[in-house]
Amino acid sequence: MSTTTLPDTSDKQAAESQWAVETHGLTKRFGENVAVNGVELLVPRGCAFGYLGPNGAGKTTLIRVLLGLTHADSGTMSLLGYPVPKHRDAALARVGAIVDEPRFHGHLTGRQNLQMLAEAREPAARDRIGPSLERVGILQRADDKVSKYSMGMRQRLGVAACLLGDPELLILDEPMNGLDPAGMHDMRDMILSLVAEGRTVVLSSHLLDEVERTCDAVAIVDRGNIIRQGPISELLAGASLVLQVGCSEPDRARALLQATTIGGHIDVGPLGLGITLPTATGRDVIAEIARVLVEGGISLYRLEQIQASLESWFLQVTSRLGAPE
Amino acid sequence: MTTVPDLGTPPPTPPAPPAPAPSSSDRRGSPIPTGGMIATRIMELRKRRGLMIALTLVTIGIPTILLLIRLLLHAFDPKSYGPAGGYSIYTGLSAGVLYVFGFIVAATLGCTAGSVDLTEGMFRHLVVTGRSRLALYLARIPAGLAIIVPMVAVGFAIVCAVCVFAAPAELSYDGVNVPAGLSLTGLENWAAGHADVVLCDFNYNGPGLNVPCGPNGVIITGPGSQVPPGSVQPTHAQLRAAAIRIAKQDFPNYSTQFRYPSDSLMIRTGLWIELEAAIGFTVGLGLSSLMGQRTVSVIVMIVLEIVLTPIFSRARIPHFLNLQRAVVGVATAHLAPGGIPVFGGGGGGPGGGQGNPGLIPESHIVAVCVIIAWLVVWTALGAWRMMRRDA
Repeated sequence: MSTTTLPDTSDKQAAESQWAVETHGLTKRFGENVAVNGVELLVPRGCAFGYLGPNGAGKTTLIRVLLGLTHADSGTMSLLGYPVPKHRDAALARVGAIVDEPRFHGHLTGRQNLQMLAEAREPAARDRIGPSLERVGILQRADDKVSKYSMGMRQRLGVAACLLGDPELLILDEPMNGLDPAGMHDMRDMILSLVAEGRTVVLSSHLLDEVERTCDAVAIVDRGNIIRQGPISELLAGASLVLQVGCSEPDRARALLQATTIGGHIDVGPLGLGITLPTATGRDVIAEIARVLVEGGISLYRLEQIQASLESWFLQVTSRLGAPE
Repeated sequence: MTTVPDLGTPPPTPPAPPAPAPSSSDRRGSPIPTGGMIATRIMELRKRRGLMIALTLVTIGIPTILLLIRLLLHAFDPKSYGPAGGYSIYTGLSAGVLYVFGFIVAATLGCTAGSVDLTEGMFRHLVVTGRSRLALYLARIPAGLAIIVPMVAVGFAIVCAVCVFAAPAELSYDGVNVPAGLSLTGLENWAAGHADVVLCDFNYNGPGLNVPCGPNGVIITGPGSQVPPGSVQPTHAQLRAAAIRIAKQDFPNYSTQFRYPSDSLMIRTGLWIELEAAIGFTVGLGLSSLMGQRTVSVIVMIVLEIVLTPIFSRARIPHFLNLQRAVVGVATAHLAPGGIPVFGGGGGGPGGGQGNPGLIPESHIVAVCVIIAWLVVWTALGAWRMMRRDA
């Protein structure tokens, strides 16, 4: 990454900030609809950060507000330590972003589209066109018209456009859209490599599996509110304990367990018993379940703790779980 | 479900090194566009093949094809078809084609430049660069003018070249071939020697001579003549005297006619047509930026040029005369060079639009103020909308 001298104190203050993105009480309304509702978001520098939420939760709106594509109704925010919109130009100088579906001038080639964007940035951005195209893997098609690009290629071109500014912070809105499995794998590797270079990547997505594989920390947004945020490992540690039990006479086994003080929710399924225990349930409970079943004359074939996934945790914490449409 | 923002969560990784700040020479907040921004904007417009073909066809193709047809017809049948060039052809192509259609194609280009970033999804990419939105808007003005001005200039140069180099040897005045550049005495002498055609073909407001004219402007004399009952056949001297009177009366009009346009007229006409094209582009750019789409903007501009402007130029609507003067097409018509007719406003006179009795009255100063106001207001409206618009 390039280094340049810090021109004034505001740049020094910005550089000292430990947050790549910081918002306080950020609110955006569309008439009666509150798309972003007092969001308090802290994205640490130098990590891959997932921004998750169901469709219509306000993910893209928050990104648009952060980037100055639309104005906020209230609240404060900063990017890379620069307050925006006051120092928007300085902040966005080191930010690259894809918002919604990446669209470009279809009658121009990929390279020509990047030339237009590079000229709107600093002069050094011109020299990054070739390397950016090469990095996202479309250098061979760079001189084809964008109208002939597939959706996946336009996604890659969007990422190349992000890289023109040698960004400290990348904000990618659904970057996996339109990518085939190999493309998703490449994109994941690229995001990890960007993070390894010391950049911050904010990834908005509903592909929870991809986010779990890629990101260090996440925030969950629902109906304009951030309902959880933090490192994935810590968040999943707070998820419910789920056990899968393979045994004989599952109905009698369930009755035996329900008669104890173990608690939780017990289902009978084709694989046996599914037991969901409250958060912070101790490991001794697992041994207690085994003891109750064996002493009750139940043949125990399998007792397995199901690893909590981001998807299961997401479904637990989002308010739409089980909510009628 | 309970909302539990976990704000105190420590970062999962140690903070990265301080972000490299933008160089102090990076003035992307400035409203002044860079040369590179203008150059790439030119490229973006120039690569629109359909639009460029349409612009070229209208500004260069139509005059070229018309003149080419006239050149060929004259070459193959010079007796039936006059020379391709000349003053009347010049005025027709300048004011009838390049002035009107130059405005329309320039407006189309402006409407395209003002709306395509938005409709094609490129606007948000440009905004995310941090570049001033005003600079993004202003870059379009020199870029569009760099395309339309040379294009109109090429079309006009072709018209000028053909009209000068393929001009008729004699002036065609009221359908009669007359030597060009005669003084009053010279015209009178010529009229005396060509009394037949002068009496039969020249416009004349005065007491009629009641001479019988043949099909080719020849007075029929002798037994076949049909002299009105009660009158006598005019003598040769009477015919000569009448022809001299007509020549004297027509001289002011004749003196404004030329075989081909003068250098100064061509320069002034060229600047006038370019001004009209620049207005069309700038207003179209502002209008489409304001509306956020192209099609309706183009239609509005066409209606303004070929419907509203001719009406407001000629009709004197009571109590709305000042409003009519504020129409930009009326103002530019008043700046027409001498001898150039204005579209919808009738033929030009010695003073151009200003001397044209068909136009509503307006001083040059007011006309210039109206044009400047249109350019400033539409640019400001377009820029304001672009700065406030959600990307």
